[in-house]
Amino acid sequence: MSQDMNRDDNHDVEQRLRAALRPVDPGAGFVAGVMARIAAERPRSARLPRTRAAAGWLTFALAASIVLALLVAHQQQARRTQQGLEARRQLIQALRVAGDKLELASRMVNAQQPPPNSSNSGA
Amino acid sequence: MSADEACTSRALLARATAGDAAAFGTLVRMHQRPVYSLALRMLSDRHRAEDLAQEVFLQLYRSLAHLESEDHLSFWLRRVTMHRAIDRLRRERRYAAMPLADAEMASDSADADPMLERRLRGLLEELAPAARAVIVLRYQEDLDPVEIGRTLKMSVNTVKSHLKRSLALLRAALAVPGSGAGGGSPTPPRPLPSGHRSLV
Repeated sequence: MSQDMNRDDNHDVEQRLRAALRPVDPGAGFVAGVMARIAAERPRSARLPRTRAAAGWLTFALAASIVLALLVAHQQQARRTQQGLEARRQLIQALRVAGDKLELASRMVNAQQPPPNSSNSGA
Repeated sequence: MSADEACTSRALLARATAGDAAAFGTLVRMHQRPVYSLALRMLSDRHRAEDLAQEVFLQLYRSLAHLESEDHLSFWLRRVTMHRAIDRLRRERRYAAMPLADAEMASDSADADPMLERRLRGLLEELAPAARAVIVLRYQEDLDPVEIGRTLKMSVNTVKSHLKRSLALLRAALAVPGSGAGGGSPTPPRPLPSGHRSLV
């Protein structure tokens, strides 16, 4: 008996819910609003590839700058190394010349010197 | 939907996917009523419902390429609308009833009771978002529990449990003196029993 009443009550509530939840239409400008939002979004999507292209160029420029800076730094380092080697070569050359001169001077000095007192020792 | 209508919808969907704005406008016109109604019953506010429904169609515009058929489109629209509405309700924590501008809710059938319908909608607003979604899909869209489960990503048992509990609570809340159908009593609706808001 009470189960039947419950079933009837449920049926009644269901019918009332169906009536209360009948679909309704939105305002008259709804479709226009949707289309306007789509239209507003389009330029943004169109701008997107341009922004992406700009970002790509920026990345490329940044990478190119870094490579260029590394090349310049490498060249400067190579030039400095070259200069150092040249300086060393010149120093060795100068030392060799100086050594030769000293050798020559030493020989000349030795040649001008009288021989040790060989006559006195015999007298 | 008749075979002709299905054919037309399929053609419209294909044209809209190809970038035909007019075809997309027609699709929006065809589906605006159910989408807006679902949003309205969930959010209980016309402006927020229109905003949400427009967002759904905007998302549809971006997702056209993924839709395969008219049935898929209807399912997709229902699912996205309900999930967005539930997310918004949970985010805003606005379960409490808000007054509806009932001008648009005016009944178009002679035997309807506007006061009782308003009262029922007020009680619905007190349900937790998921329970409300189940009731709206069942009694507005006339979906069975399996379809509701697919739409809301819920098990059929959970759907049935929500339906049973919500109906019992609504029935109990309506059973107050002077609340009978056709009574049109101006007494405010009795709130749902405490603890019901944690139906999810």
